Parts: sequence; structure tokens; C-alpha cells
Amino acid sequence: MTAAAPALRQTAALAWRSIITTIRLPQAWFPALFFPLVLMAIFTASFGGAPGAVPGFPPVRGFLDFAVCGAVIQGVLIAGTSAGAAFATDIEGGFFDRLVASPTSRVAILTGRLGASMALGAFQAVLFIGIAWAFGARVQAGIAGFAIVLVIAVLFAAAVGGLGVYLALRTGSGEAVQGMFPLFFALLFFSSAFFPLETMTGWYAAVAAANPITYLVEAMRLEVIGGATPGTALAGIGIALGLAVITIGASALALRRRLRVAA
Amino acid sequence: MTAPAVETHDLVREYKGGVRAVDGVTLRVGSGGIFGFLGPNGAGKSTTVRMLTTLLRPTAGTARVAGHDVQEDPDAVRRRIGVALQDAAIDPYMTGRELLRLQGVLHGLPRADCRARADDLLGRVGLEDAADRRVGTYSGGMRRRLDLALSLVHEPVVLFLDEPTTGLDPTSRVALWEEVRRLNREHGTTIFLTTQYLEEADQLADRVAIIDGGRIVADGSPAALKAGIGDPLLTVTAAEGSSPDDIARVLARFGRVVPGSVSGGAGVRLPGGSAAMADAVRALDEAGVQFQAIDLAEPTLDDVFLACTGRHLEGAGEAPLPA
Repeated sequence: MTAAAPALRQTAALAWRSIITTIRLPQAWFPALFFPLVLMAIFTASFGGAPGAVPGFPPVRGFLDFAVCGAVIQGVLIAGTSAGAAFATDIEGGFFDRLVASPTSRVAILTGRLGASMALGAFQAVLFIGIAWAFGARVQAGIAGFAIVLVIAVLFAAAVGGLGVYLALRTGSGEAVQGMFPLFFALLFFSSAFFPLETMTGWYAAVAAANPITYLVEAMRLEVIGGATPGTALAGIGIALGLAVITIGASALALRRRLRVAA
Repeated sequence: MTAPAVETHDLVREYKGGVRAVDGVTLRVGSGGIFGFLGPNGAGKSTTVRMLTTLLRPTAGTARVAGHDVQEDPDAVRRRIGVALQDAAIDPYMTGRELLRLQGVLHGLPRADCRARADDLLGRVGLEDAADRRVGTYSGGMRRRLDLALSLVHEPVVLFLDEPTTGLDPTSRVALWEEVRRLNREHGTTIFLTTQYLEEADQLADRVAIIDGGRIVADGSPAALKAGIGDPLLTVTAAEGSSPDDIARVLARFGRVVPGSVSGGAGVRLPGGSAAMADAVRALDEAGVQFQAIDLAEPTLDDVFLACTGRHLEGAGEAPLPA
């Protein structure tokens, strides 16, 4: 057995625990599924008739096709905040101590939680696109396009999960992590998650144009509404990957710091 | 030869602002016994346990647990210890069985062993019927028993129990004591137990160290510590027609009078114990001194604590008694 095998098994077991405790706690999963879908429905009902009539709107079959990727990203953001809060609760409640006082791999403590976030992100992407599909939306780039949307969603879930875990390790408080949520939400609204960049003006457009989430959503959306190129796909994957590397790297340092100060 | 279960030398933990929660603790706990670490809230018990279980780095000094240094080889320590910390860290949304199996995986047990171990431990702590219920529905006593089972999944050599019965009702407390004794007797697991309850240390531990203000103030078997305090205390309360002084005069023949030991009577340290008590009663009768109540009290660990710190343990942390 290689040295990595126990860590992999511990990661799987801890990810499984994170997933089942999320499923069993409705307040952990309900907002992450319900709010993005409601927002998607409201936007679609409000603007659904005439996206083409708004200047700057890309050619699109219907607003639902346009909105579904924003909903996935929003759902992943909400789920990541819950994951961070749950990790902080583990620290507050002592589960973290139980892990640290056992020979559990320190890497698995992080990868277990992040693995669960990635699995839940994939589930959200499949569910949301499936629902949009049932209401008539179609992925123009086909199966390959859907796969790219899924990859970006999963990488972004890892990035947000990493941020949540980082905040949990630095604050050690579930409430503090949950309290960061409005900030994440602002980040989402100052992006092209719900409306195209071309419809925005002034400073708002400038902020959205500088927001990495804009390009991430754009890359996913082009796969759905058509117009994606290998370049846009790679940019989206690259940005999601870059964000994941930054936040997971930061959370790994925060874990080391916490263990060094404490243990 | 087995290494001592716990061996510390001048262990210190200083928190921000220079507060020394643990201030030079030197301990040697042999393998195979039940060791009681007794002290009031805030005395440094939990901080010591956190250092011994690799959760907290000592500011100074050394500690070896199950033969391994907690700082140089923490993973070797972690493989050999079981830890049940204060406020059982138990996931309310998982079942007892799920948590036990997860703990098995975290300790690297093969899958089949995880299942078998979980079933075995659930039986041992009497949680078979609740095994598939979420822990959120468990009572406080059930949680502690599950916590105990979780700390035993990998058959540790040394088990750390940090205030295992705090907040439990008397029945659950006694049941947990019984489980701890059985574990020590049948599996030879060394138990390092912290408690703020005198009775718990007295009932369970074959050796007790008393900690106060981060320092060890007494260390020995409960019997030896109590014997060090002195002889049992005989107190006699005067009845109508006699005075405390009359009683004191008679009792002084049998031992050293302890002023203020009982109101409306007198007390004396009685070297002869219960055998001498009969003589004392006869002497009171012969002297014609009327009395209404008589009591012989063995020294308690509270007397030990009082002698060492000038305070009673129960409710310690309040102002010291006037000397």
C-alpha cells in the first residue's frame, strides 16, 4: 500500500460524511437549490419574451438558456458558503480536534471537505441544466459543451469551497463565515452572471469587466447559447482553476498555521 | 518492560499575555492504571490533556505519551491514544454506527474490521438499539458512551477522558464509571482521566494528582493522600445539660481537638479510628456528659485539596477561606 492510499480513503470517507450531513440538514442544501432556481424563474418570466429586444443582448433562443449558467454559479456560491460554515462548526464543535488527535492525514481534512463541495457542485450543474432543459433550454455545443460547463462548475465549487474553508480556519466561527455571504453575493451581482456585460454602463460595467466571475460565467454560457470557441472554454477553465489554486493554497496555509499555533 | 503511559517534565503552556495555564507540570503515569487528574475549573487540566493529545504545542518542557514524544513524533502518539474531550464532539446528523465506522476508516482499519468493531463497541457501551438513530436524538449519557466507544475504535494503549461525566445525571455517571473500570480491567487500557469531582477521582482512580493554578500540588494514591491529612475526625454534639467544653475535655484524652469542627459540640482527630470511637463514647458516659449526635468522618480528597490550597475544591475559584 502506498503512502497516499490511506489519505485517499480518508478523503473519500470525510467527503461522504460532509455530503450526508449536508443532505440531512435541509438548511444546508435548500437555499443552494431553491434561490438560484427561483431567481432563474423570475428573470425568465420577466425578460423571457424579449431578450433580443434589449440592446447589447446576445442572440439567444430564450432567456432561460441565458440564465441557467448564472444560476449554477449562484448555487455553487451558496453551497460553498454553507460548506465553509459547516467546516467552522466542526472546529467549534470539536470534530476538527477529533481529526487532529487521530492519525488522519492533514491533507484529507481539506480534500474531504473540498471533494464534497465538488461533488455537490456537479450535482447542482446537472440538476439546474436538467431543469432548464425540461423547460426548453438547449446546450448548443452539445455533450462536449455540457462537459465543459460541468468542469467549470466543479472547479468553481472547489474554489468557493476553498474560500469557505480558509475563512473557517481563520475565524473558527460558523457565524463569521455565514456573515461573509453578502460579500460573495455582491461579487456575483457585479458580474455578468445575470445580464450581459454589453447591457451595463459606467462604473458598474467597469467593475463587472474586472470581475473574474464574469469570464467564468461567460465561458459556460457560450457553450449553452452558442458561440463558444476553444479559447473561451480554456479561459473559463483557466480562471476557475486559478481561483481554486489560490483559495485552496490559502486554506492549506491557514490549516498549517492553525495546527502550528495550536499543536 | 512497558514505557510509562505518560511522562512529562516541566511542561508549560503559556497563553497570550503571559498567562501560564500550565506552569511546570512533571508527571509519571505508569502503564495499566487509572490516573485521576483532579482540579477545579481553570486549573490547567484540559490544557495539559490538549498537550498530551498533540492538540496543543507546549511552550516549554517535554511530554512522552505511550513511549513517544508528543512534539517529535505526534503521529506515533496519535496511533496509540484514544481521546474523548470535554463536550463530546459528535455530529448530530449522523448515526452512532456511521460515526464509529468513519472513525475506523480514519484510523486505517480495513472495511470489514470497521463494521465488526462498530458492532462490537455498540454492544459494549449498550447502544445497539440506538445505533441507527441520529446522534441528535441521544441523551447526554448516550452521547458520552458513544464518545467513549469512538475513542476505542483503534484499541488505544492510553485513553484520555477529559471530564467524562460533567453534566451527567448520577445514574449515567455511575454507568460510565463502570464502563471505564471494565475497560481498564479487561483490556488493560491505561486511563488518564480529568475531573473536578472528588468522588469520581476517589471512586475510579488508583492514583490522583491534584492540580491548582497550573501546578501539581499533590500526587499519590487516594488512600495515601488522605492518610497524609491525618486521622479520622470524631465529632460529638452536646445535648441539653452539657456544654461543648465538657465534651472537648473528655475527647481531648483520645486525640488532638480540632476547634470549630462542629457547632454546638467538639471534634477530635482520632488516631484509633472506629475502634477508639467506642472508648470515647464510654468515657463520655462515665463522665456523665450528655450528647445527641456522634459522627466519625474519614479524611476526604477535599480535605487534601483544602490542606494543599487553602480552599475547598467544590466551588473552588471563589475566595480562599480565612486561615
